[in-house]
Amino acid sequence: MTTLLVLLSLTVGVYLVAVLEAWTTNGHFRIAAPLCSALALLGRESIVPRKADRIFFEAAPILLLTSALLGAAVIPLAPALIVTDLATGALFLNAALAYVLVALLMAGWGPDGAYAMVGGWRFLGQVIAYAMLIVMPIMAVAMRAESLLTTEIVASQAGLWNILYQPLGFVLFFAAAMALAFVPPFDLPTAQGELAGGVEGEYTGVRLAVFRLGRMVLILTLAAATVTFYLGGWQGPLLPPWAWSAIKTLAVAATMLLAGRMMPRIREAHLLAWGWKLGIPLALLNIFLVGVLVLVLP
Amino acid sequence: MIAGARQGRLSGLRRLTALAMARDLRAFLVPGPEIARAHGLDIEAAGLLRVASPRHASVLLVVGAIPPALREAAAIVYAQMVRPRALFALGTQTLSPLPAADVGARLSQDELVEGVHRLRRAFAEGAFRPQVSSFDTPILHVRIQYTCPMHPEVIRDEPGTCPKCGMTLVPHETRAEGGSAHRHHHTMDSGTPGQAASEPGHSGHPGMDHAALVQYTCPMHPEVIRDEPGTCPKCGMTLVPHETRAEGGSVHRHHHHTMDSGTPGQAASEPGHSGHPGMDHSAMDHSAMDHGDGMFMSMVEVTRDLPRSIDGLAMDWIDVPFGPFFPGLPGGLQLMLTLDGDTVARSAAHAQRDMEPLLPAPDLDPVRFVSRLTEMDPLSPVSYRLLACRAMEDAAGAEVPDDIARGRVGALERERIASHLGWLALFAQQTGLGWLMGDAAGLQLHVRHADLKRLMGLRPALRTLTRRLRRTPLLKARTAGLGRLAPDPTLRGPVVRATGIGADARHTDSTCAMLGFTAITRTGGDALARLFVRVEEITHSLALIETAGVVERPEPADTGEASGAGEAVVETPRGEARLQLTLDKGRVSAARLGTPSMRHLELVGPLTEGQELGDALVAVGSLDLSPWGTGQ
Amino acid sequence: MNALEQYGLLLGLAVGTVGVVLSLYGLARRIGKVRREPGKDVPATAGQLSRDPVWVRYHARYYGYALLFLAFDMEMAYMYPWAVVYRQEGLVALLDMGVFLAILFLGLLYGWSQGALRRQ
Repeated sequence: MTTLLVLLSLTVGVYLVAVLEAWTTNGHFRIAAPLCSALALLGRESIVPRKADRIFFEAAPILLLTSALLGAAVIPLAPALIVTDLATGALFLNAALAYVLVALLMAGWGPDGAYAMVGGWRFLGQVIAYAMLIVMPIMAVAMRAESLLTTEIVASQAGLWNILYQPLGFVLFFAAAMALAFVPPFDLPTAQGELAGGVEGEYTGVRLAVFRLGRMVLILTLAAATVTFYLGGWQGPLLPPWAWSAIKTLAVAATMLLAGRMMPRIREAHLLAWGWKLGIPLALLNIFLVGVLVLVLP
Repeated sequence: MIAGARQGRLSGLRRLTALAMARDLRAFLVPGPEIARAHGLDIEAAGLLRVASPRHASVLLVVGAIPPALREAAAIVYAQMVRPRALFALGTQTLSPLPAADVGARLSQDELVEGVHRLRRAFAEGAFRPQVSSFDTPILHVRIQYTCPMHPEVIRDEPGTCPKCGMTLVPHETRAEGGSAHRHHHTMDSGTPGQAASEPGHSGHPGMDHAALVQYTCPMHPEVIRDEPGTCPKCGMTLVPHETRAEGGSVHRHHHHTMDSGTPGQAASEPGHSGHPGMDHSAMDHSAMDHGDGMFMSMVEVTRDLPRSIDGLAMDWIDVPFGPFFPGLPGGLQLMLTLDGDTVARSAAHAQRDMEPLLPAPDLDPVRFVSRLTEMDPLSPVSYRLLACRAMEDAAGAEVPDDIARGRVGALERERIASHLGWLALFAQQTGLGWLMGDAAGLQLHVRHADLKRLMGLRPALRTLTRRLRRTPLLKARTAGLGRLAPDPTLRGPVVRATGIGADARHTDSTCAMLGFTAITRTGGDALARLFVRVEEITHSLALIETAGVVERPEPADTGEASGAGEAVVETPRGEARLQLTLDKGRVSAARLGTPSMRHLELVGPLTEGQELGDALVAVGSLDLSPWGTGQ
Repeated sequence: MNALEQYGLLLGLAVGTVGVVLSLYGLARRIGKVRREPGKDVPATAGQLSRDPVWVRYHARYYGYALLFLAFDMEMAYMYPWAVVYRQEGLVALLDMGVFLAILFLGLLYGWSQGALRRQ
C-alpha cells in the first residue's frame, strides 16, 4: 500500500509542478490550468507524421514517463514512504534517468522532421555535458552516508544538511539536474525560439499530453532527488515528515522553473565547455574535499 | 461553429474535452506576434496562449492583410494544425487559399476580446460535428514527377525512359505548383538545384549515347575511368557514366543514408542495394536500379567528393526552412538554411513581394499615397508616413512650421521607442528570456499611442527595464561575438551604428539638431553591441521627446497644384529610408523607395554561414529586419 | 522486501505505467479517429512543407567531449562501490582513488590542451 500512497503523492506533486510551470511560462497562476490543458489535449487529434519511425515515435513519450517514474520510485518521501528502498538506490536513480536521453533521442529521430532531429542530437550533447556532474556529487553524498540507500543518505544528514556540508556539490548537482530536466535555460531540445518546439513539436493530442506529463514527473523526480541528497529529505521541526518533503520539493521545483525566466538559453558550445572545463574539476575537488572531511570529522 | 471541427457527436466525454478546449485556447499568430503588437493588440490579455508550433495550436490567428505568398504558407500551417482548429481573422477578409474565417473582427483590442469570447463559444458548441469536410488546396499536394538522373531538365509526368540517354526515369516528389522542387541532400554544387545527380550506379543503360565529356567509372572503384561503357576490371560491375570532376563532382555520391550507414557490411542484406553501405532510398522508389554484385565500399570512398566541414568530416546536409512563420524571427521572412548537423552551411533569405506596388495607379492622389506608405510596413507606419509627407513637401517646395516639425519628430521618436521595445520582445522570445518578453511587450503597447504626459510617466518603467537588462546573467555570453560586422558605410540604422560609424539620417534634420540629438554608437559590430545601441536609443529618444514637448502624428500638408521632384530621408527605427518622388500638378506620378532592410537582407548569408544554428538565428534576429516593403 | 521482490515491484510499476498510457491512448481513440487530410502529417516547418527525409548522417560537433566522457563514465562505475566503503577503509581509499582520479584528470588536461574540449 505504500506504493499506492507514494503514487498518489506523486500525482499531487506532479499536478502542482504543472501549475508552477504554467505560471512561469504564461504568467497566470491558475489551479485548474493543467487539468484544462490535459483534457483539451485528450480531445484533440494525435497524428503520427508521415514516414515516421513508428516505434521510436511511439516509444519516446512512454519511455520518458516510465524512466522518470522509476527514478521517483527510489526517493523517500518519509521514513517509511518509499516504493522500493533499493540497496543501490542512488545508482538506480541515475540508471533510470539515463533513459531520458534515449527517450529524447527517439523523439528526435522518430518524426523525420528537421527541428526534432536537431533537438534530439543537441540533447545528446547536453547529456555529455551534465552526466558527470550528476554522478560525481552523488558519489560525494554517498561517501558521507557510507551507503547508496536513499533513506540512509537522508539519515546521514541528521546533523548537518549536505547543502552546507558540500555546497560545491549542491551547486553542480542543481545545475546538472536542471539540464537533465531540460528546463530553461537548458531547454536546448525543446527550444521555442530556436527550434519551434524541437522534439516536442511533432507530438500532438494525447501523445503530447504523455510527453508533457513525463517531463513534469522528471522535474518532480529531480527536485525530490535534490531534496533527498542535499536538503535533508523529510527532516525538519514541527511539521510531519511528508509535509517537509512536500514543501522542500516544491520549493526546489519552483526555483528550477523560475531560474529559467531570468536567463537566456545557454549556447551548446558554452554548456559543454563550462561543464567540462569548469564543472569536472570542481566536481573532483568536491569529492576530494568531502573525502577529507569524512575522514577528519567524527 | 468552426469549420475545422472533429467528426463525431458532441456528447459525454467529447463535450467535456470541448469545454476544456474552449478554456485552453492556443493560438499561432500569422504573420507574427510583432505585427500584432504593432497594431496595438495584446494577445495574452485577450485570453489566448501563444504557441511556437502550429501543431500545438487550436486557433490560427491572422492579423492584418497579408500578401498571397504568405497566405499560401498560412494555408500550409492551417493544414498542419490538428483538429479541432479554428481560424480567427483580424482586420482582413481575403484569406484564400485559407478557408473562410470562423470568427472575424477588426483590428482593435476590444474586438479581439469579443472575438475570443465568440471563439470560446464556438469551440464549446462546435468542436465536434457529425459532418466535417477536409481542407484541401493544391499547395498541399505533392506531385510525383519522373526525371532522369543524368539530365535534370527532362521531366515527365509518368514513368518512362529519358529521351537523351535512355535511362529509366526515377520518381521525385515536387510541389504541385512549381516553386522549389524536391531537392536532394546534395552537397555538391552542380548548378541545378540537385534533382538529378544523386542516383548512383544504375547498371543496365541500354543504348546510352554520351557526349565526349562523359566518362565511365565504377561505383566501387572511382579510380577506374574509361571512355566507353564496359565492366570494371576489379569487381566486375557495369561501369556507370558520370560527368567529369571539373563540373562539380561525381554523381554517385548519394546522401540518403540511413542511420546504419556507419557499418558498411549491412548493405548486403538489403534487397537490391548490395554494395552500397546502407543507403535508404526512402524518398524514392528505386526498383529500376540494379546494382551489381556486392562489394565493400568504405566510408572514405563514399565521402570522397563531398565538401568537408571545418573539422574535415563530410556529412550530409539537409535543407530546413526557417520561415516565414518562425517564432523569434520577424514574420514574413523566408529563410532557408542548409544545415550540416547543427551548423548552418548555407543560407538564403528573402522577403516576399508586397500586395500592391508603391504606386498602384500612375497618377495618385497625395493623401492616398501617404496612406499607402503608412500601411506598407506595419512595423513602423509613422516613419514611412513622415517620409511620404516630407518627400511631398520637398517636391512642392512647402515649408513646415516649427511646432509641427517638432511634433513630427516627437511621433518619430515615440515610434522608435516602440519599435525597439518590440524588437526586444522578439529577441526575448528567441532566446527564452521570459521576463523581458512580457515586460517589453507590455511597454510597447503602452508607448505606441501614448501622449507626452503618459510617455514621461513610463520613463521609470523603461529605466527599470534597461537596468534589469544590463544585469541579466549570461546575456553577454549569449550575444557577444555573434553576427560580427565590419564597419561598412552602406549599412544603416542601429546595425551600422553598432560598428562605430555614426551614420544617422537625423543629422540632416535641423529640428533634431535643435533638440539636442546625438547618434548613439558602439564598437564591436556584434549582436551585443546592436542590442545595447537599441537600448540606449530608447533612453535618448525619450529625452528628445521631452525636449520637443509635443507628439503629433504627421499629416500631409496641402500641396495644391505644385509640380516637381523631391526627395526625403527619414531615420526609421531600422535605418535610413529614402523616398524620391515626382509631383505632377499636385498628384504623385512617380516614386522610388529605398528601405534599410533591403540592404540588410543581404547580410543574412555571411552572418549565418558556419555558425551554430542558435547563434545564426540570434544573429539574424539582431539585424532587426522588416520583411515588409522591401519588394519595391 | 528482498532485492528480487523490489525489482519485481519496479517492473510492475513500469508495466503499469505503460498500461495506463495505452489505455489513455485508447480513450483518446474512442473520442475520435484522426482524419486524414493532405499536408497534415508532414512535419511542421514554419510555413513550408518539408518533404525531404531528414534521416541523414548528422554532424555532431561534440565528439571530443564524448570520448572523454567514456573514460570518466567507466571511472564512475568503479566509484560507486568505493564511495560506500570509503570511510571504513580510511586514508588508503582516498589515496587509491585519488591516484585514479588524478590520472584521469591529467587525461582531461591533455585533451583540453590538444583541442578536444571545443566545438569541433
